[in-house]
Amino acid sequence: MKLFYSIIKEYKVLTRDRAGLAITFLMPTVLILIITLIQDTTFRSVSEASVPLLIIDRDNDSVGKYLEKSLTSSKFFAITKKSMTNEQAKNEVAHGSYLIGIVIPEKTSENLRTKSTQRISKLLNSFTNDSVNVIETIDTNKLELLLYFDPITKLSFKTTIGNSISSIISQIELQSMALSLKEKMQETFPYATPQKLETTALVSTKEEYASYNNSTIIPNSVQHNVPAWTLFAMFFICIPLAGNIIKEREDGSAFRLLTMPGSYLVVILGKMLTYITVSLIQFGLMLCVGLYVLPLLGLPQLNVGNNILLLFLVAFSAGLAATGFGLLVGTVSTSHDQASLFGAVFVIILAAIGGIWVPTFVMPEVMKQISIISPLNWGLDAFYGIFLRNFGFKEIYPNLIRLWLFFLATLTASYYYQKFVRMR
Amino acid sequence: MEAFVEVKHLLKKHKNATRPAVNDISFLIDKGSVFGLLGPNGAGKTTFISMLCGLFCPTDGSIIINGKTHHTHNKECKQIIGVVPQEIALYPKLTVWENLMFIGRMYGIKSADLKKRIADNLEILGLNEAAHQKIISYSGGMKRRVNLIAGLLHNPQLLILDEPTVGVDVQSKQAIIDRLKKLNLDFGMTILYTSHHLDEAEDFCSHIAIIDEGKLITQGKTEQLISDNHCKSIEEVYLKITGNKFRDK
Repeated sequence: MKLFYSIIKEYKVLTRDRAGLAITFLMPTVLILIITLIQDTTFRSVSEASVPLLIIDRDNDSVGKYLEKSLTSSKFFAITKKSMTNEQAKNEVAHGSYLIGIVIPEKTSENLRTKSTQRISKLLNSFTNDSVNVIETIDTNKLELLLYFDPITKLSFKTTIGNSISSIISQIELQSMALSLKEKMQETFPYATPQKLETTALVSTKEEYASYNNSTIIPNSVQHNVPAWTLFAMFFICIPLAGNIIKEREDGSAFRLLTMPGSYLVVILGKMLTYITVSLIQFGLMLCVGLYVLPLLGLPQLNVGNNILLLFLVAFSAGLAATGFGLLVGTVSTSHDQASLFGAVFVIILAAIGGIWVPTFVMPEVMKQISIISPLNWGLDAFYGIFLRNFGFKEIYPNLIRLWLFFLATLTASYYYQKFVRMR
Repeated sequence: MEAFVEVKHLLKKHKNATRPAVNDISFLIDKGSVFGLLGPNGAGKTTFISMLCGLFCPTDGSIIINGKTHHTHNKECKQIIGVVPQEIALYPKLTVWENLMFIGRMYGIKSADLKKRIADNLEILGLNEAAHQKIISYSGGMKRRVNLIAGLLHNPQLLILDEPTVGVDVQSKQAIIDRLKKLNLDFGMTILYTSHHLDEAEDFCSHIAIIDEGKLITQGKTEQLISDNHCKSIEEVYLKITGNKFRDK
């Protein structure tokens, strides 16, 4: 019963602290909304049409049209067509208005057709040893498209885009050659009615995310930011919790509680259970934000996976770790200011290395290795497992154990530190 | 008279401290007495009270409370001790009633009994009308009176008061002292009292001990101390024994 009354007391103290409540519930909501909106473009860039591309089409013929059609169908580019000089196009890209600029020179299609015809003629004539009739009138080496890349473009991205465009151009060349072949054969067999040569790819690639249990969810800013900032807020609970402990120490309540038979441990336990409950409420609230609020802002809806109970088990484990950390900060710190500063800075560092700000999969290798020391990373990894890979308990339990061990370690450290200080 | 608290060669030396905070002190506190523990700042009063409450273990020596020690009977010892700290050890955003209910429940007092005890104490100390106001809205004197009630709810046999009247108005001070005198006379409650108000101590305490720099300088019945030192008041005795030197750390 003492524990129950202790929880009731903590609940009353907490609900009457408006600043503490704001930190606890408003901060993660605002962070999720802002950061998700900010990062949405970055996350979309790997899956949706968002790369700004400028086309200067002076050809106005089949090459330009086919290139534009192919680029549009890739759903990777936001295409703008303009008429301007090469220098102007280069400037537009240099100023960051576009990531890529493509200049298609005049008569590119016509020259391509001519060259294709020549090559086919040359090939066919070689069967009859007649090379006299083939006159090369155009130097096709000068037949080139001009690509401008924004200097900030990463080399890997530039290579990928360059390869994609080269692939499209190869298809155009193939189609042109096929057409020339058909025309030449038509000259030899004027009464034949040949079918159109199929130029669609014979070999295609099928791509899918190597997700677990056939889950096909693609990571997006919502799937990352909702669990990430919820975890951040859970660990930020260390500040009001530590403040609560220090306040009790400063105003003599802790002294009074220590003089009561067996009460201080009950009070500490009451605090921890209250704050773990708060962190679960935080988690539930943030799930609701992801499910119902973010879609209203044009963002994707949070996919919570198939195992809500497991999600709350992860949240509970993260809450345990966070309250254990808060208890340690409150025990070690000698003033409210010290606890606020130490707690905030430490949580921000743990969040940064744990992949809360920037997901670990885009971090350099060395940071990926460092990230595994952060309890926020353990929580986030477990959430990713459930959200994105349909993981069950047996796949995420190592992260849960890490969180529980962190809780036990902080609890033990708090106990012995307090004992050490009292014994001094 | 039967001794309720026996302090035997008590020593407490904090780590890295140049001298012991409490240095080999021994005295008895009789059952039903009001025992004043006086001394300048840094004399060792708070350290002694912390050991008496079971918060610190002594480096050497012992404190026996009603025949038991914290070392062997921690729970029993704590149950018979009531503490009124110098600080207002209450939750400012809870009401007086909520604060006292919480403290009473932590002592394991049953709800109906607890409510009656709170109501009676609030009535005696003139706080019943403001019982459901938050502590934060209380004056200094009102807070002190609630602080006293919080230490009395479980009817302790030994009440430890660490400067219970510091910073309060004359009316509140009188109400607190009157209540304490009544508890001592009517219920035989043993009281350990520390204060820098020496006139108050002289009026209230039957026995007084003066400690300085961790050592017990003198002790005895209040009147006896005054006459033995050829002084007119405890304040004169105190200054005569401890001197005029500042105790700035």
